[in-house]
Amino acid sequence: MSSVLSSLSSAGSLPGGVLAWVLGGLLLAAIFWPRRGLVARWRSARRLAVRTRQEDALKHILKSEVNGRSASVASVAGVLKVGEDRAAGVLAELERGGLLSFEGGAPRLRPAGRELAQHVVRAHRLWESFLADQTGLGEAEWHRRAERQEHLLTQAQTEALAAKLGHPLHDPHGDAIPAEGEGLAADRGRLLTDVEAGAHVDVVHVEDEPEAVYRKLRALGLQPGMSAEVRVKSPEGVRLQVADLGEVELNSMLANNVTVVVRPAGASARGTGGVPLAVLPEGASARVAGLAPGCRGAERRRLLDLGFVPGTEVVVELKSPNGDPTAYRVRGAVIALRREQAAHIRTTALERAVA
Amino acid sequence: MADAITLPSPANSADDILREARRLREGITGDVHEHLVEAIYTDAARIADRAVTRPDRAARPTFDRTLDRIVTSRVWGFPVMLALFAVMFWLTVSGANVPSAMIADVLIGQSYPWLRDAAASLGFPWWLRGVLVDGMYLATAWVISVMLPPMAIFFPMFTLLEDFGYLPRVAFNLDHLFKKAGAHGKQSMSTMMGFGCNAAGVVATRIIDSPRERLIAILTNNFALCNGRWPTQILVATLFIGGLVPAHLAGFVSAAAVVGVALLGVALTFATSWLLSRTVLRGEVSTFSLELPPYRPPRFWRTLYTSIIDRTLIVLWRAVVFALPAGAVIWLSANVHVGGASVAEHVIHGLNPLGLALGLNGVILLAYIVAIPANEIIIPTVLMLTVLSAKLTGVGEGAGVMFELDSDEAVKGILTAGGWTVLTGVNLMLFSLLHNPCSTTIYTIYKETGSARWTAVATLLPVAAGFALTFLVATVWRWVG
Repeated sequence: MSSVLSSLSSAGSLPGGVLAWVLGGLLLAAIFWPRRGLVARWRSARRLAVRTRQEDALKHILKSEVNGRSASVASVAGVLKVGEDRAAGVLAELERGGLLSFEGGAPRLRPAGRELAQHVVRAHRLWESFLADQTGLGEAEWHRRAERQEHLLTQAQTEALAAKLGHPLHDPHGDAIPAEGEGLAADRGRLLTDVEAGAHVDVVHVEDEPEAVYRKLRALGLQPGMSAEVRVKSPEGVRLQVADLGEVELNSMLANNVTVVVRPAGASARGTGGVPLAVLPEGASARVAGLAPGCRGAERRRLLDLGFVPGTEVVVELKSPNGDPTAYRVRGAVIALRREQAAHIRTTALERAVA
Repeated sequence: MADAITLPSPANSADDILREARRLREGITGDVHEHLVEAIYTDAARIADRAVTRPDRAARPTFDRTLDRIVTSRVWGFPVMLALFAVMFWLTVSGANVPSAMIADVLIGQSYPWLRDAAASLGFPWWLRGVLVDGMYLATAWVISVMLPPMAIFFPMFTLLEDFGYLPRVAFNLDHLFKKAGAHGKQSMSTMMGFGCNAAGVVATRIIDSPRERLIAILTNNFALCNGRWPTQILVATLFIGGLVPAHLAGFVSAAAVVGVALLGVALTFATSWLLSRTVLRGEVSTFSLELPPYRPPRFWRTLYTSIIDRTLIVLWRAVVFALPAGAVIWLSANVHVGGASVAEHVIHGLNPLGLALGLNGVILLAYIVAIPANEIIIPTVLMLTVLSAKLTGVGEGAGVMFELDSDEAVKGILTAGGWTVLTGVNLMLFSLLHNPCSTTIYTIYKETGSARWTAVATLLPVAAGFALTFLVATVWRWVG
């Protein structure tokens, strides 16, 4: 220990002036270094923040336009979570940049603005698809991360991403991803609150904002691609019979964030129905009906690889000492799956005649 | 859907075709590629069902089913597992002594003096003989004699259990624990392999098919106390911890200390896995699958052959490749003199402040730097460096040559003369668990991950943990004592 102290104190024998100059120089370099210094970083962060606000405003106006609503300074302020003065300032910047014009007091996109807004929407939805399919990040993170990434992706990067993902048409929330250079389509379907009782519907979109509502919907397990029947409808809310989940109750606030299309009478239900494999007792056997829509990406491919394909017979073979994972016999192999995975696999009862 | 397809007339442009394709795709829910995959699997299954006839017998033999019921039961699952591994480790540790002594006798007791004489009679200058024989040859001979027998015993036993089909059941039993740490049950297998040899443990993570869990298993494998570190642990525990209690308890207490260090390693494996899966590895893809293959009689000779060739010899070869230059470095550092003292003494002097703050000393730190090829040569290196730096005379085989002593008391005498206390012993045991992996393992991690970044993390993470823990223990110790 003592020699550590003595070596430290020997540093004090350097001429104090030299040390001060060196430290001062390093400090100045850290602040003013081009591109890496604190000032440069602060300025690029500022530029990004300004661009983010502008692009978010354009995105909002585009979405309003295609869905037949009209955007206003107040609605822009609401989306950007800033005061109206600030929002008016952002719109004025955009007007000076030739991205939008005011017609009768309402902001209208000009071609350059529309193109930029479409790119941002496309980048956002592609990035969400990427996060859902190719990373292990949970659903709660997709939207937040895509909100940031949409402003960072260039045109070329967005195209490369689309090609890598196989040009998907819908993001994980069920929204259409516009093709390159093509206009944004109006949102499909109707809000769940606008549908009559007794209708058979397909969920096409689950709104990811505001976050608190989205979290509740996610906890219920409602996802795009599921089929449901509207059982009861009242001003307080909606009761649904969902093919993959059973009965689900939504209050009107939640129902207002779910978009559905009404299925014509006679069309077959989407979704897979049936009982999740995870709830079957040891020794039971069943037939795979399909995989839940929420099971995506690597996880889905893995289950298919293992042979959990519609029509396959599965036997619950063995539970581990703690009850999870459980081993299943499928196509002659014994495969252990964790509970969450087995919950993705829907099964129907085995017809006795075949067995 | 078929009625929706209207074939475009040849006059239509490519754009029309693309638009039509897009329109058709919009009618399909979900990912079109997945629909294709699903359809292909379904077709394949249907064809197979039609074409393949199976002999009329039970899908799973009753023997398998009964055995599975026992080895995965709530009552018997864990006791069976613990008993099997206790036997395996006992066989490895106690069974390796005899062949180790034999190899050491041949390579060090007989060949080494002969090589020295041969070098002398061929007229080699003293320094060339020193580098080649006292440095490179001796270090390599040491590594082989200590490393080969335990691996040659442990790996075949491990492979036999694997071949029989028991190990996947262990992963099945333990997955619950690993899941809580964000890891894969199969990590239990690579960790157990790590108790034999970390380099082999890292290779064994290949069985984990999920990228994130595999990386976790690689990064934490070093927390499994490998064969090369057991002798150090046992020796130091016997000398310093066993010496604290009455003689009739000494054996038990020192064994408990060694097991305690190994369990600390297991606890750190879980803690680090938990931390990694929630921080740096959060976004990596994670899937789980574990096949429980049917039991089958192990193919004994074939298993023996492949485990010796694939695991033992490959690991040994890599260790030898690294031991040769390290032997030269060790010898040179002890025998090249600058300003009246050897290089090693200068370095030890420089490392002493850090070493003492950690409750260790400069000799131990230098020993861990130069003995990076294999943990097996830590004790001989420490003895050599202690004799060198404390200027002891009359022990060892000559200046700057690694050696081991037959009696534990003689070892303790040298170490005490070198300034060792009980704290040094305790912290050496901790540092032996928590320091960088040996060079063979580092190289293997690089080969397996293909990433210099993850290799650096795997190397530096345990060192940082070791520094932190030993510093903490030393500070508390000095504060209390």
